[in-house]
Amino acid sequence: MSNAIDQTRRMLSLVTYLRERPGAEVAEVARAFGISERELIADLNVLPMCGTSFRGGDLLDIDTDGERIWWHNVDDVAQPLRLAADEATALLVAARAVAGLPGLRAGDREALTRAVAKIENAAGESAEGSARVGVTFEAESHVFADIDRALSEGRRLWLRYYSHGRGGMTEREVDPIRLLTEGHTYLEAWCRTSEDHRMFRLDRVAEIKVLDVPADPPKREPRDLSGGLVNPSADDPEVVVEVSSGGRWVAEYYTHDRAEELPDGGLRITLRSADPTQLRPLALRLGRDGRIVSPPELAGQARAAALEALAHYGEGQV
Amino acid sequence: MAIAKAERLMNLALCLMNTRRPLSKKELRESIEAYREAWQNSSEEAFNRMFERDKDDLRELGLVIDVDENALDGELGYLARADRNRLPEIALDAEEAAALTLAARVWQQAKMSGAASGALQKLRAAGIPFTETERRPALEPRIPAREAAFEPLLTAARDRRPVAFEYRKAGAAAVEQRTVEPWALECWRGHWYLAGWDRDREDARVFRLSRITGKVRARSGAFLGTVPEHVDVRATVAKFAGEGATATAVVRVRRGAGFPLRTKALTTRRADDSWDELEIPYGNGLGADLAEFGPDVLVVGPEELRADVIDRLRAVAGTAEGVRV
Repeated sequence: MSNAIDQTRRMLSLVTYLRERPGAEVAEVARAFGISERELIADLNVLPMCGTSFRGGDLLDIDTDGERIWWHNVDDVAQPLRLAADEATALLVAARAVAGLPGLRAGDREALTRAVAKIENAAGESAEGSARVGVTFEAESHVFADIDRALSEGRRLWLRYYSHGRGGMTEREVDPIRLLTEGHTYLEAWCRTSEDHRMFRLDRVAEIKVLDVPADPPKREPRDLSGGLVNPSADDPEVVVEVSSGGRWVAEYYTHDRAEELPDGGLRITLRSADPTQLRPLALRLGRDGRIVSPPELAGQARAAALEALAHYGEGQV
Repeated sequence: MAIAKAERLMNLALCLMNTRRPLSKKELRESIEAYREAWQNSSEEAFNRMFERDKDDLRELGLVIDVDENALDGELGYLARADRNRLPEIALDAEEAAALTLAARVWQQAKMSGAASGALQKLRAAGIPFTETERRPALEPRIPAREAAFEPLLTAARDRRPVAFEYRKAGAAAVEQRTVEPWALECWRGHWYLAGWDRDREDARVFRLSRITGKVRARSGAFLGTVPEHVDVRATVAKFAGEGATATAVVRVRRGAGFPLRTKALTTRRADDSWDELEIPYGNGLGADLAEFGPDVLVVGPEELRADVIDRLRAVAGTAEGVRV
């Protein structure tokens, strides 16, 4: 259910919209406003109680039979309203960010750039605030064209992919599902090698080939990504990391279940990972700023890797 | 049951938009049922508070409400003039409208997402074409804003209001109190940063929103300094993240390993059967980046970088002094 502010915002536009379209279809109006029919009906139940004067009985005479909407006493109040500062900012910042997205189709980019100029013009001073908010997406476009083609033609991909956790290259066949950008750009795909849903970071794709095989990802609902793109599942094994104040960044970069303050300004962070051994780079990176408390295998692997590395520098023995 | 807030706001908006002369608070109270109820059932004070809040909410939604001397009884009156609230002529073709519709979906933050949809709804109501596309776009960009400080800072930057917050610098054990004139917000690599004037340090500073602890509090008064024309948050942050480096380092990388280092290498040559030698940019934080690769990377130079990586490895191996194992 939407909040009162969003509902008011919507109802103000709704009266303008309905004024121009007598007998508008409920289903179509709901789609145009990006809301469910139920939400629209809820709005239509409120509008007849609104008007320019309650006492004078000057209420909006809007009704619906569930399929079409009629407004019987249309008046001039319902003019198209100027954009609010926050509305112009939200729309312009998003549009500029998307227009700057590497890999966007050229036609879409041009259309968006034209639209931005028109919105800036129509928004007037409301658009000023949008200059104070910027969003940059990473330029990781070298493999974009092939993925775009595989997606539009529904074909399987072969990837040579750098596994950050293992530190090496892997080769795999994947059925692409969609591309998502949040900071970095990720390919969501069904990995036929691991028989699982995976997110592949585009800047870690070393080589790519569009295969002559139709993609066949398992049909399921798009995953809920509201908590972030890379989310461990609740039944993944737990990893506990203790960091000093210098290692607090771990809590900023890793989705975690808990972060408890330690007396020296440090944190005890509990996170989850499908395969804790893949966190070896983190364990090595921490240095003096933290240590892996559990699982002990991960701590052991990191220690062994560090000793092996030190041997190259002529310290100790492998 | 109390009358829903949306209904009350809608009534206030319609009254203010429909009048040709300023309406006094008393007149609005007489016209709008919810206000009459508040006034009768509670107090004059309750009605006043409700009215002030509603007026602010409508202004947030973009309504320009003018305050005038009411000709009738000398009281203050309110009205939303048609000419000041009308959307100027705007014509978008179907392609432009479709591109905007997709762009408006990128916000993953409730308030911005609501505002972007609101903007689209106003454009739709004004007759901007709407064509449905079942086709999912090939690319779905997302702008996250999970940081609690995002919303209050955005509002403060817009209204040019100073703010105070507690901030923990990278690696610092304690939080510090900061008073800042917020200039600009920038999202880079999925994280939000604030650039502004730090009043106590009397200098321009960049803050990472995830390091702001506790509430962002609005301070009274206006900015003391001027806001620069151009604020380059990204350059400052990128420099801190080790980008734009001018120095270089030489490292050996085991063949087949270290792909991220190879993509940014300036030169690569074969050292022997199992190692390649790479020249890479040497910026802030490189030591930590290299330690991640463990035994697959060997730093040749410069010496300080080599020492930094060895120190990190010793800490993990448990061979360093003063490190708990």
